[in-house]
Amino acid sequence: MFQPVLLANVDKPNSHTLATYEAAGGYAAMKKVVNSMTPAATIELVKSSNLRGRGGAGFPTGLKWTFLPKDATKIYMCINADESEPGTFNNRILMEEDPHQILEGIIISCFATKSDTAYIYIRYEYPLCTQRIQAAVDECYAKGYLGKKILGSEFSLDIYLHRGAAAYICGEETGLIESLEGKRAWPRIKPPFPAVEGLFRKPTVVNNIETMCCVTQIAARGAEWFKSIGVPSDPKNPRDPGSYGPKLYCLSGHINKPGCYEAPLGITVRQLIDQYGGGVWKGRKAKAVVPGGISMGLMSGDELDTPLDFAGPGKVGCLGLGTAAVIVMDDQTSMVDVLHNCCRFFQHESCGQCTPCREGTAWSLAMLDRIRAGRGRLRDLDLLLEIGDSIGIIPGTTICGLSDGAAWPIKNAIRKFRGEFEEYIKRTNPTGYAEVEPVPALETNGHGGHHALPVINQSVAWGGNARPAFPGPVEGGKKL
Amino acid sequence: MSTATATRVLTDEMVAAIQAFFPRYPTKQAVTLPALHIVNQRLKYVPLQAVVEIAQLLELAPAQVQDTLSFYGLFPQDEPSGRTRAWVCRSISCALRGGEQILEHMCHQEQIHPGQTTADGALTLEFGECLGACEFAPCMLAGDTLYKDLTPESASAFLQDCRQKT
Amino acid sequence: MGIVIVDGKEIEIGDQERLNGIQIARRAGAEVPHYCWHPGLSVVASCRMCLVETGTRNADTGVITMMPKLVPACQTPAKDGTVFVTSSDWVKRSRAQVEESLLIDHPIDCPICDKAGECLLQDYHFEHGQEKRRADLKPFTSRKRDMGDTVTLFVDRCVMCTRCVRFTREITGTSELMVINRGSHEEIDVFPGYPLDNKMSGNVVDLCPVGALGDKDFLYQQRVWFMKKHDNVCAGCSTGCSISIDQNQDNVYRLKPRENAKINGWWMCDEGRYGFKHVHAPQRLTEPRKRAGAGYANIEWSQIPTELMHDFSTAGRLGVAVSPLLTVEEAYQLCKWARQIDPNAVLALGYLPVIGRDEKYPSGFTIHAEKAPNRLGVENVIAHFGGEVAVWDEFVELAAQGKFQSAWITAGYPLPWIDEATAAKFAALKLLVVQDIFDSPLWQRAHYQLPAGTFAERAGSYVNFDQRLQSFRYAIRPPAGVWIEGQLFWHLLARRGLYNPRLLLSELATEIPYFAAATEDVPAIGVELKAKQLAAVN
Repeated sequence: MFQPVLLANVDKPNSHTLATYEAAGGYAAMKKVVNSMTPAATIELVKSSNLRGRGGAGFPTGLKWTFLPKDATKIYMCINADESEPGTFNNRILMEEDPHQILEGIIISCFATKSDTAYIYIRYEYPLCTQRIQAAVDECYAKGYLGKKILGSEFSLDIYLHRGAAAYICGEETGLIESLEGKRAWPRIKPPFPAVEGLFRKPTVVNNIETMCCVTQIAARGAEWFKSIGVPSDPKNPRDPGSYGPKLYCLSGHINKPGCYEAPLGITVRQLIDQYGGGVWKGRKAKAVVPGGISMGLMSGDELDTPLDFAGPGKVGCLGLGTAAVIVMDDQTSMVDVLHNCCRFFQHESCGQCTPCREGTAWSLAMLDRIRAGRGRLRDLDLLLEIGDSIGIIPGTTICGLSDGAAWPIKNAIRKFRGEFEEYIKRTNPTGYAEVEPVPALETNGHGGHHALPVINQSVAWGGNARPAFPGPVEGGKKL
Repeated sequence: MSTATATRVLTDEMVAAIQAFFPRYPTKQAVTLPALHIVNQRLKYVPLQAVVEIAQLLELAPAQVQDTLSFYGLFPQDEPSGRTRAWVCRSISCALRGGEQILEHMCHQEQIHPGQTTADGALTLEFGECLGACEFAPCMLAGDTLYKDLTPESASAFLQDCRQKT
Repeated sequence: MGIVIVDGKEIEIGDQERLNGIQIARRAGAEVPHYCWHPGLSVVASCRMCLVETGTRNADTGVITMMPKLVPACQTPAKDGTVFVTSSDWVKRSRAQVEESLLIDHPIDCPICDKAGECLLQDYHFEHGQEKRRADLKPFTSRKRDMGDTVTLFVDRCVMCTRCVRFTREITGTSELMVINRGSHEEIDVFPGYPLDNKMSGNVVDLCPVGALGDKDFLYQQRVWFMKKHDNVCAGCSTGCSISIDQNQDNVYRLKPRENAKINGWWMCDEGRYGFKHVHAPQRLTEPRKRAGAGYANIEWSQIPTELMHDFSTAGRLGVAVSPLLTVEEAYQLCKWARQIDPNAVLALGYLPVIGRDEKYPSGFTIHAEKAPNRLGVENVIAHFGGEVAVWDEFVELAAQGKFQSAWITAGYPLPWIDEATAAKFAALKLLVVQDIFDSPLWQRAHYQLPAGTFAERAGSYVNFDQRLQSFRYAIRPPAGVWIEGQLFWHLLARRGLYNPRLLLSELATEIPYFAAATEDVPAIGVELKAKQLAAVN
């Protein structure tokens, strides 16, 4: 039977304290690495484990580290704790319940990459995480695990927390970097990649929280242990690094026992729902399942035997494994509502930099709003698909992957549930569903579309010509 | 444009708290978010006057700070938030379990729209995108407290508590 | 030397050349549409209008491998072996989609938009857009927002290319403009109380690819298709920015910077941009007059050369002040004539307006304190003709001391330039000719009052602070039949035909070594006079 490793500590009393963590053998791996290994050997260890980043893209972590320039004088480590993908909460649990496992991974990773400064970018919505991580960092400084000359070695490291301010795009690594620098979180064009020119224009590694925990476990248990878990690489695909190691799956939605479960990569959706989640709620059947956060699209109820490894969801038309956040929708769920919810999310969170994403996400929400207001047209479905097929880094029309995430729910929902959408539109708009000429836009409050309540979009600091009252310039305001 | 000079809104304590962040970063601009949080925590909003003063501390133009500030949905500028500021999640996992109905219920009960503050200043109620607590859907973050598995009853109880808090 | 393949054509690229896909495609004759990219600003690759297909050709096998996605041409460097496809169906479809996206929220108020006729959104839609609207119809909105004294924002017309914001951050370093809000709620704004008021603010209007940023000075003055563009050089200061003058029926409506990597890049300052109002000022002098008794009598322009020659021949020693606003050709003619009349004539640089200090922006762009376009050109002409060369203050003193008895003073300054006390120092002169555009104490003392021309009416060359000579033709005709200086001097020298500055420049460039580089045709970006002189010395 598979034994949880990443979550091994979380149920213990005071699991977040250094004492509890060390009582279970914590920081031994860090000490071993810092005292007896070289940075190169540490990178090699992580590389040989085939660890792939847990943040969503699944890029091999060790390989990412090797992209850092050898002659760099300053390297920054950024820890991406801006977990905002709907359905995802594994990092929150790790930060709240086992912050030292994360810090140990960060220390090891910084040692490996010769980084002396790490910033943990924590989303604003995680106040408890912020407290726990800060307390853990303080404990580490007190114990000499952080600061100058750690454990008497030449290795020094400072870790700072940086709180986000409620923007999904800050989870994109260059959006995170821009946000950290104090700018609007507009993702940067690549190249240059962060490993070459990142935070404050210096070489930078951006890694996810769960990835750091995996690094801790790999350092403690070895690369072979890690590779004994999960799905081996596809021999027919030489570029497939495999899906190794334990993974935290977040299970939510219409499920009896929602929660975060640790399982070997490659578990199927059905196993997850039945063995861990106690089945779909109310004795119903699953109509659709999100495989890894809504960015990854949707699986239909007949695709539940898909393995949740890095390659699995792609085989049923989803974008990928993403954050492995599985959201279950029962057979009474309206896919129109689900897609509306997804489109509303991405419209709200699009950073607005690239035209196709800024306008495409808003346009798709406007259509869904109109459809839900009983004025849908069959043509809208084709327009939605056209938007879905044309936005994102995969077709190359945007700078970052947010709009791929916006595209996938549209594509999957309409292609996999087209009958339901057509039926909905014909039923709610019996006289106009066949219309093809442009129709007047829905009258909205201009802030988030039709809603049961007039919604005031919180992202609008001021709209139109109305601005906040301003008493006048003050002395010393910078004027060049 | 008024020629009158406005009174400062950043206290010495806030300025010191902001300046304490300087050594953490190689640029002062990087202290933008920490500074906005510091002001927002204390004043419950970031008036334009504060933006000017933050810009001055960070050696930026006010427009640079405002540009960053307005990107995020977090910092009110017109008036302070209520004594409690609550975000009810409207993203998919919560929506599947009635999150939007909870928000609607609370709005109706308080007679406000999402984003507004109750007349007595007790509560600002907003929607939030995924709060990362989907196992407790539908959920709400009020201040630093996460409210889990909300029902209309527990939401009403929360509203009751808010009113009593001063 | 490398080879880049654009739409199947092999295009050469130099080893040191750093070009992107847009630039190399232009070399191949293919225009890649773009909004956010501007050669003078950082690359953001966000409008996604310039998406093209790209790939590489293997140097050994010649096999071309294409990337499976579109890329922004602005962000893709052209290197040896790079392949660009700018006109495939995929590229065209993508452009049509971007155009369609941008028009979803655009008011499409072209009939009342100043930009119509030179609007990229309009042009690109015509060329790359789709025929029919598919998005929902929206009510027309037209929100205006004041950005500062010079610029108005038409909020809904904006396509969020952020060129204007980048300009204030990267070029002027003043950062007045910002993007507010997020996603489809984004808008351009200034911080309340901190308007766009840097001295280069007008450039954001030029940068705006659509009708969002409007120049208040030009707003609703003229449809752009009625105007003709004329290459010219700004006369506002010694920087000598390359500009174009947009005019219709001899009315100047606006000045725009003209790209010149050697001088102004893509920019000009507001002082220069809006500094043309004197051209059409109602107070402008247009009647040539000669003193008659206690008053003045009008005279015909055609009579002036004869009368002047006659009067000067008996007026004693001559003093000539050559205004730094004159062109090299005009100065040359005037000095030449002066020497003919009086070999001992005092030749002086005219009044040189200097206001404040040089202002240098982070980008290197400098607004000079010397508010004249051609001090160096005039000085070098005067130096060539030798004799007693003076600056204006010395010239005034010489006049007061009676060192010359007759004088010809050229002026033409847009601002008041001489006070009564200074003018009084010319009281003893037997003959005083003043050429100016506005009334002045000196004008009131002149025996001959000759209206002068302004920069828009001149033709010839200026030498800027950096010894770069630029030539230009006139943009409008002077008012009321005024003979501008060059034309009058031409007749004084009894030359035949029309004033021909090009001929004069060749003549003087052969004669005066300083101008040697200008012997041949002068390109649009001007010629460097320094190099040729160094070569001559060596």
